[in-house]
Amino acid sequence: MGKGIIGLYEHADDTIKAAEKLKDAGYRATIFSPVPLVHEIERSRMGERPNYIKWFVLIGCLGGLSFGFLFTLITSAMYVLPRGGRPIFSMTPTLLLSYETTILFGVLWTMFGFLVIARLPVFFKKSYDPGVKVDSFGVLVEDLQTDKHKEIERIMHEFGPTEVRLIENEQP
Amino acid sequence: MSGNPIKAIIERLKEFRRPGYYKNYDHKWTMVIDLDRCNGCEACVTACYAENNLPVVGKEDCGNSRVMNWIRVERYVAGEYPDVKVKFIPILCQQCSKAPCELGCPVYATYHNQDGLNVQVYNRCVGTFTCATYCPYDVRRFNWFTYKWDAPLEQQLNPDVTVREMGVMEKCTFCIQRIRAGKDKAKDEGRAVKDGDITPACAQSCPAGAFTFGDLNDPESRVSMLAKSRRRFRLFEELNTEPSVIYLKKVFADGGGNPPVGGHTLAGGHPPVKEGHGG
Amino acid sequence: MPAVILQLRKVTVDKRTYSEVNKDILRLMTKTGPGYYAALGIVASLAGILFFLPWAYQIYRGQGVTGLNVPVLWGVYLVNFVFWVGIAHAGTLISAMLFITKTPWRRAIARGAETMTLFALILVALYIFIHMGRPWNAYWTMPYPNQRELWLNFMSPIMFDVFAIGTYTTSSAVFLYFGMIPDLASLQHQTTGWRKKLYSTLSLGWRGTDAQWTVHGRATMFFSSFIMPLVVSVHSIVSWDFALSLVPGYSQTVFAPYFVTGALLSGLAGVMLMFTIMRWAYPFLTKYVTDYHYDRVGALILALSLVWSYFTCMEVFTGLYANTSLELEHLKFKILTLPYFKLYFLMIFCNSILPLSLIFKKLRVSRPFMLFLCIFVLIGMWLERYLIVPNALSRKFLPFMWHDYTPSWVEVSITLGALMFFVSLFMVSIKLFPVISLFEVKEDIGIPMKHEHRKDGA
Repeated sequence: MGKGIIGLYEHADDTIKAAEKLKDAGYRATIFSPVPLVHEIERSRMGERPNYIKWFVLIGCLGGLSFGFLFTLITSAMYVLPRGGRPIFSMTPTLLLSYETTILFGVLWTMFGFLVIARLPVFFKKSYDPGVKVDSFGVLVEDLQTDKHKEIERIMHEFGPTEVRLIENEQP
Repeated sequence: MSGNPIKAIIERLKEFRRPGYYKNYDHKWTMVIDLDRCNGCEACVTACYAENNLPVVGKEDCGNSRVMNWIRVERYVAGEYPDVKVKFIPILCQQCSKAPCELGCPVYATYHNQDGLNVQVYNRCVGTFTCATYCPYDVRRFNWFTYKWDAPLEQQLNPDVTVREMGVMEKCTFCIQRIRAGKDKAKDEGRAVKDGDITPACAQSCPAGAFTFGDLNDPESRVSMLAKSRRRFRLFEELNTEPSVIYLKKVFADGGGNPPVGGHTLAGGHPPVKEGHGG
Repeated sequence: MPAVILQLRKVTVDKRTYSEVNKDILRLMTKTGPGYYAALGIVASLAGILFFLPWAYQIYRGQGVTGLNVPVLWGVYLVNFVFWVGIAHAGTLISAMLFITKTPWRRAIARGAETMTLFALILVALYIFIHMGRPWNAYWTMPYPNQRELWLNFMSPIMFDVFAIGTYTTSSAVFLYFGMIPDLASLQHQTTGWRKKLYSTLSLGWRGTDAQWTVHGRATMFFSSFIMPLVVSVHSIVSWDFALSLVPGYSQTVFAPYFVTGALLSGLAGVMLMFTIMRWAYPFLTKYVTDYHYDRVGALILALSLVWSYFTCMEVFTGLYANTSLELEHLKFKILTLPYFKLYFLMIFCNSILPLSLIFKKLRVSRPFMLFLCIFVLIGMWLERYLIVPNALSRKFLPFMWHDYTPSWVEVSITLGALMFFVSLFMVSIKLFPVISLFEVKEDIGIPMKHEHRKDGA
């Protein structure tokens, strides 16, 4: 598949600066980190990411709410078994169980949304360096033409990387 | 005509919002127990054991409060020896119209049928104990073990009543097998059920005639007459369970069962029971 | 006050610090001495002997082998059910509530607490089956389309329980796994053999890109916002098993907040007990679970204990104020009758008086004292449930049926065995999965910066 150049850094601020500069130069840079750098990246010129997951959560919650309502009401209309002098359509349990199903579906859709947006699970091995999950930070530029290599490597070297190298995506 | 299906749906929805669902019970089976007649002989308990296949659990489990009686005669002693008065009150399932036990069951093993009876479906029961915990009258019984009848005794089991499995909750049914037989007989003869057609085992065996069983929906029945008595009360009426068992007891000025010197009574004060069910 | 991991904070944060975290957790997971195997063997066999064998016996013979009788149909099993739901609340408190309030010290202990939550909920589910008369029909309480002409009564508080606990178990499991994904991805490269395979599969190919971290953070916020109201609803619903009945000692409006407070109190005590024992078994954990954590959790236990004491007083006060013969009889039985008199005041000592000592910082950071305190708080919380569940039923409406309850050997054995089962599950899990969240601890240590210093936010 595609090729990429990855630069590994010891410090988070170097990494972000390298990514900013690569972005200014017109490349799509991906930052890797072992810890969340959300605030740092938002403060940098990389900008804030669009918040799509809230729509998944909204769908989950509305789905759960309507599921809880319809489920309890329809099934109790299907099995008419009077109990305790209460009506068949009883609001208290309906609201209570809808509350629980709202949360249940909300949680499941949050997880689903997370997987979709984070592009997980990954079936192809994607390019990265194992170190970025443990102790180093990385910037990756993917899918580039060979003639740009020099420039990218030059930008990456400006910020004192521990290593800059060419990596390739592998097939599964 | 296009409005009709919608109207029908709205009617149906209104029915589903009606408390207790039933507008009128087919029958409102009621038991009237005259405590002034009860002498505590426990013939009703024995009859119930024979009729409903109740297991005899033995001395040890009786001591552990695991007796399987569906009806019990509670004894309360007033006064100090030798001036002692013992009061009896037979307690069986009160077949409450607003039964707390029915709310507790997660699997609908107990629900309300169209005769106003609180029925227990043994096959559905999973044994969460919730019904018995919620019951204010402690009338529900649990099958702690697999109970066995010794060699000749299994021959006298009532074929109309199931033998319950271990782990199942059970309780008084107002002898539902007799109710069903009485209804079937009336149907075969092409008539409505008459007052006196159906008698539960406890009522049948009571030598003092303290028990009266009948349909409260029928204004001419004996229970309807007795229910208008000024001596009537229902157990724990303040809990709003609306029991179907009505007790009759003359209450005297000292609050107990002792006849006062001048014969003055506190009888009355309770309004007559509502006919049918609250719909 | 920034989050501190005291010993690590002294050195400058760099590459080595981060790999040290990984190394430490890997050491915890892979370096297994004979002591661990011996302890696990003992605990697991005790679980088998004390828990599974008596349970099998009970299923074979029937519920009659317990000490239950007709007015007292809810005994020790229900007590344990409520107790373990309570223990399950700590994980959520620490990971969700303290996440939303951005409390920094939660990071090191959150994963352990969440693991506890999940295993406690497994015990809760087991106790529902244990207490059933016909446990082989337990699936009848699950709402799914079937051919049995059988449906569920959504009005039953037990059914509320099924929904609430089902939702809670699912959410906790999802949340626990979700938080573990980056850690598993991190460990995948430092392990070999089956572990490598397991972690690579479970980490789903997590790479740690900025896009992934962003959505991870947002999802955590949503999970926390969902789980926080859930945790309150779960224990209120558990309290409604009792409060929605008519029984004098059960029908208390104060139960829902009372139970939730008690649950959080016992849960925190459980978490601190667990970490104290782990710190003793693995001394290098002292770097991560520091005196600072003990100080903060101790203060939280103190606060919750005060709230709990208030509710305990209110429970008695409302009973006395109602002044009905039923309430008075119940209170007399629960507080003044002899065996329960002692238990009641032991409970007050454990949960109200003893935690007052936590106003001294010296005691809050003292490990032996916290161990002692946590055990006592747990005993006290168990007693609270014991004094509520069977005792209210012993004095129901009709005096003719009043009957006392003593647990049988089966119930005692299952109670202890279930605890052993919980411990063995936990012991296995700390070897399989990182019990301390790697990326959160790294975040806690600080992010290596050459020039600017990170302001401590989340």
